[in-house]
Amino acid sequence: MSEVTPSQELLRKWEEEDREAREIRRRSADWDFIRRQPPRVRAALIYFIERGDRYVAAKIAGLTVDEFNEIRMRAKIPVVV
Amino acid sequence: MRGVVDACFLIDWSRFRRRRILEELFDVLLVHEEVLGQVRSEVTVEYASSLLAKGVLRLYPWSEADEVEFVTLRSQVSSNSRIPSLERPDLLCLIIAYNSGAVLLSENVGVHRVVEYHPKYSRVRVWTALDVIEQSVYRGLVEVQSEADFLRVVKEYELDTHHRFRRDRIERSVGRVRAWLRG
Repeated sequence: MSEVTPSQELLRKWEEEDREAREIRRRSADWDFIRRQPPRVRAALIYFIERGDRYVAAKIAGLTVDEFNEIRMRAKIPVVV
Repeated sequence: MRGVVDACFLIDWSRFRRRRILEELFDVLLVHEEVLGQVRSEVTVEYASSLLAKGVLRLYPWSEADEVEFVTLRSQVSSNSRIPSLERPDLLCLIIAYNSGAVLLSENVGVHRVVEYHPKYSRVRVWTALDVIEQSVYRGLVEVQSEADFLRVVKEYELDTHHRFRRDRIERSVGRVRAWLRG
């Protein structure tokens, strides 16, 4: 299977975008709400703050993406696009 | 205009107070049945059902050839740590958009990154909700008289869906709207 690889320049740009987005999510989050959640949901919300990945976060929580999204919104964690 | 919609876009857009503009902007929105399978909340199910009933949202007839493309694409993108995990339905959407020449509606960072570098899929146009709002302005579906009006609509989306558009993305969009307003 042929390898398709992004350039180093793109990887650096993405790294910076990821850093900025993570900071926005950390600042915006309702940490009191997050701390009150059951362990799996809490872990999923913290993962989402760090990585911004709704799919994996939903899997950690044992929920569908749609269900996790409801909790994300209540936790005031934005999707950064 | 034809579009392809992914699960997260559908989930988010269904919560937007101006969600009706999507069906005015697009004649047809293609969706894979596995994308519909990810939709669970009442608001999204009701919205997707209404689009299906109107004939705007239509199931894409997935083929064996599409499945071969999926296996190839999955192997190419799954090993890159800077690309957020792409679930099967997201990759299916990308393939549908490529094969149908439709605009892919997605706010999945992973999808946007794939089209930034992948030699084959870089020809796919991927729009965020911000792009949809901007295009709706040009087509008179959202009336704006100034940059402030445009930003107000963008803010509505951000509030309704709890999203935050990157500053550079908004600046580029505002720049284009400004040029359009000047005629």
